[in-house]
Amino acid sequence: MNRSGLSKAAVLAVCMMISPLLGGDASAADAVCAKPRQMDGFKTCADVDKAEQEGALVLYSPDPEEGSAKLMNAFHQAFPKINTNFIRLQTGALYQKLMTERRAKSYQVDVLQLTDMGFVLDFQKRGGYVQYVSPEMDGYKADNMSTPKGYWTWSSYIMAGLAYNSNLVKPEDAPKSWKDALDPKWSGVINAKTVTSGLQHVAWYELQKLYGDEYFDKLAALQPRGFDSYVQQFDRMISGQDQIAFTAQYSAYLLAKAKGAPVAFVFPTEGLATTPGVMGIVADAPHPNAAQLFMDWFLSETGQKAYDAIMSLNSPRIGAPPPPGGLPLDQVKLLYPTDWQAFLETRPEFAKVWAKVTGTR
Amino acid sequence: MRALLRGVPRFGIAGLLMLLVLLLCASIVLYPVVFIVAESLNVGEPGVFPPEQLSLRNFASISQDVGVLVNTLLVAFGATVMAVVIGFVLAWILTRTNIPGRTRLERLMELPYYMTPLVGAMAWAVLAAPKNGLLNQVWHGIGGRGDLFNIYAPLGIAWVMALFEGTVAFVMISAAMKSMDPSLEESSRVFGAGKLRTALRITLPLVAPGVLSAFVFVFAEMLGAFAAAFVLGIPGRFYVVTTAIWEATQSFPPEYGRAAALGLSLFAAMVVTLTISKLIMRRGAYATITGKAFRPRPIDVGHARWPLLAVAWGYILVSVILPVGALLLTSFQRFATVNLADSVFTVSNYVTAMSTGTLGQAFVNSLILGLSVATIGVPVIGVLTWIIYRSQMPGRTSVEYVLMFPQAVPRLVFGLGLLWAWINIPIPIYGTLWLLGIAYFTVFLPLGLRTMAGVVLQVDRSLEECARVCGASWMHQMRTVSLPLLRPGIAAAWLLIFIASVRELGASIFLMGPQSKVISPAIINAWLSSSSELSAAMAMILTATVFAAVILLFTVARRFSGAREV
Repeated sequence: MNRSGLSKAAVLAVCMMISPLLGGDASAADAVCAKPRQMDGFKTCADVDKAEQEGALVLYSPDPEEGSAKLMNAFHQAFPKINTNFIRLQTGALYQKLMTERRAKSYQVDVLQLTDMGFVLDFQKRGGYVQYVSPEMDGYKADNMSTPKGYWTWSSYIMAGLAYNSNLVKPEDAPKSWKDALDPKWSGVINAKTVTSGLQHVAWYELQKLYGDEYFDKLAALQPRGFDSYVQQFDRMISGQDQIAFTAQYSAYLLAKAKGAPVAFVFPTEGLATTPGVMGIVADAPHPNAAQLFMDWFLSETGQKAYDAIMSLNSPRIGAPPPPGGLPLDQVKLLYPTDWQAFLETRPEFAKVWAKVTGTR
Repeated sequence: MRALLRGVPRFGIAGLLMLLVLLLCASIVLYPVVFIVAESLNVGEPGVFPPEQLSLRNFASISQDVGVLVNTLLVAFGATVMAVVIGFVLAWILTRTNIPGRTRLERLMELPYYMTPLVGAMAWAVLAAPKNGLLNQVWHGIGGRGDLFNIYAPLGIAWVMALFEGTVAFVMISAAMKSMDPSLEESSRVFGAGKLRTALRITLPLVAPGVLSAFVFVFAEMLGAFAAAFVLGIPGRFYVVTTAIWEATQSFPPEYGRAAALGLSLFAAMVVTLTISKLIMRRGAYATITGKAFRPRPIDVGHARWPLLAVAWGYILVSVILPVGALLLTSFQRFATVNLADSVFTVSNYVTAMSTGTLGQAFVNSLILGLSVATIGVPVIGVLTWIIYRSQMPGRTSVEYVLMFPQAVPRLVFGLGLLWAWINIPIPIYGTLWLLGIAYFTVFLPLGLRTMAGVVLQVDRSLEECARVCGASWMHQMRTVSLPLLRPGIAAAWLLIFIASVRELGASIFLMGPQSKVISPAIINAWLSSSSELSAAMAMILTATVFAAVILLFTVARRFSGAREV
């Protein structure tokens, strides 16, 4: 499947869900404010004075701690009067924390990033996002945004294949496809992500469609170790405790390679399991103006450049270059769900299978 | 009312105050418990209170987790035995023998506790991981085959838990030994018993309440231990109840019901252990602080003091020197490699750790919480201990069971209970340090009670009765007799609660908000999502800060007490 297929399916699902709620003219709601203010490197409709008076911004994100800290620092440097803070949890855990807070009417977060479209649609259905049409959204394709736009926007493509320790595995012995990863020679030296990962859910969903449940019985037999983040996966692989990483993030490979680590990446013949990073402003945010200002900065060329330099992810912004050393999106084959709602409903089944694969149950 | 206050000092206000403290503490423990029980029966949408659908299905599904429960009991028991043996041996060496540099060594014994099981586990992963652990690399270097150590195996996990949780046993047992009447040991020696025989036949039974107290406490701590099992168990695909609960609560939709049921199942194991320990304590007369004047005198162990000194230093080596060394080395590596010879060194990990800016506030918050929870908590716990072990107030035994509850359920589950309990009341304390303070006080009630109970049981009732007979008021008796006798217990409880608060992980991980970050979850997050080199640098900064805080604290305390004595 190609990229636009993924996005169109998402848009369709969203339209179906929220159209009864809208009732009126969607295009009016889509409009950017009349006179966006030109800032240093981006445009904004936010009230900058009010944002600075609020003086704080809170982000919830599944990005690694170091990445979120750097992103928040970059924004704080652009707006020194706005102090920044964040909570980092894997996407499933993050969504669950957010739900617990909102159920109790405790509002802590301004901007939310999730890496699982299922959760994004669920949150929108629950009225969790607030609409803000950023002038910077002009730089994004319609199918990378909510309909009507302004509720959420894709901020990255997170892609995963296979990776191996190039000191311990010869290229000719390395797997070429997802199917090759089932070779018994990887028994005990393969790792994967945990059940909380949105990307892992996508990989399971797509591979199950291709190869059925049997694939995961064979994978479980290899006794993969499940880790919370790609950092741990790569850490163990680079240090030689594991030899290959299953659902290895491409961005993690680029970061490790840049450090000079002995690691090689495999683009499986079936395609790369892919999930978007999705950013949106949360309803009842404690700092709504700062949140709008952040969205404008983040979605702009300046913000995306800063983000991609930190995370080595491919930006969905039109004309954005690939991350340093990485391939552009049009040169890779991507695998992702066509129906995100159906995808969301498979989560309990995925959780059950993945508990077996990683040995938690 | 009169019947209720029977046995409580006849001071009406003091009695009422005690009753109030008792009721307040019991309710802050029971309040989250209600939520845990409700969730364990909830088969509807997780985390919705009151539950929409009730059933025993979550308990029935425990049958699928038998393997995890067995793993937990095995590791907890193994770790407890190791910790109590290590604690007893070290306490005996440092309080009852005349090895050189005892006072200083005693201070050093507390270091592993300050290091925290989290940092300890991270360090031992560097030291003894299969294939690339430093100790295994040395072993391969001298021609050894295979791996000498595998820290990811159950024994490795128990070892790390014992090393870094074991200090509690040491503190509890040595407090009991310090308060022991040495004349009994001396009699034994006069009648010709050897030193070892005396230690086993006289010293051990005399400090039995302390040892038993430590055993029960440490066992409960180990059942709910998370950090070591998390850092070391997951890479070894070895899951215990806490790590299974972690996985269950982190996915969406979360399996809260399963987590609560699993947590409550461990409660059953704890009730059995606590009941046995109470039966043993009731059987014997353990009062060893009597009216007779004595000063615990160390035994002259002759030449044996050198091997004993080596044992004490051996513990420091494996619990402090080697782990700190390993972390230090890793924190300067560009990336952890399979071969030490390939290492590229850099200071960039420290630069990154300092510049991310998330650690600073977490340190400050943890220190504020440690100081305030220990300072407010200890007097309250002191009153509770006195009521439970000295007064005749009806129902005091049931209150003890209630107050021990937070220790009997894994901290992660109790943390969830606290989250649901406090997020669902209309007071906006979620996301603030207040909530963490209340949570810490609640979960450390058992720690304080156990530590002080070991000493209270040893103080002969006759001393207090004597004071009362001589006409002293209850207040005067407390001030002049009870409190001075209990001072070692009070000091130990303060220190333990302070450190336990600074390093708390299980409850904080659910309760901290963006504005109330604390240190252990911050390190866990760094460990989960940063390279091991960066986590090592963060762990080194944590360790250095905690050590510095403790040194500062002791210096201030010494000056303060010195000034008062003058």
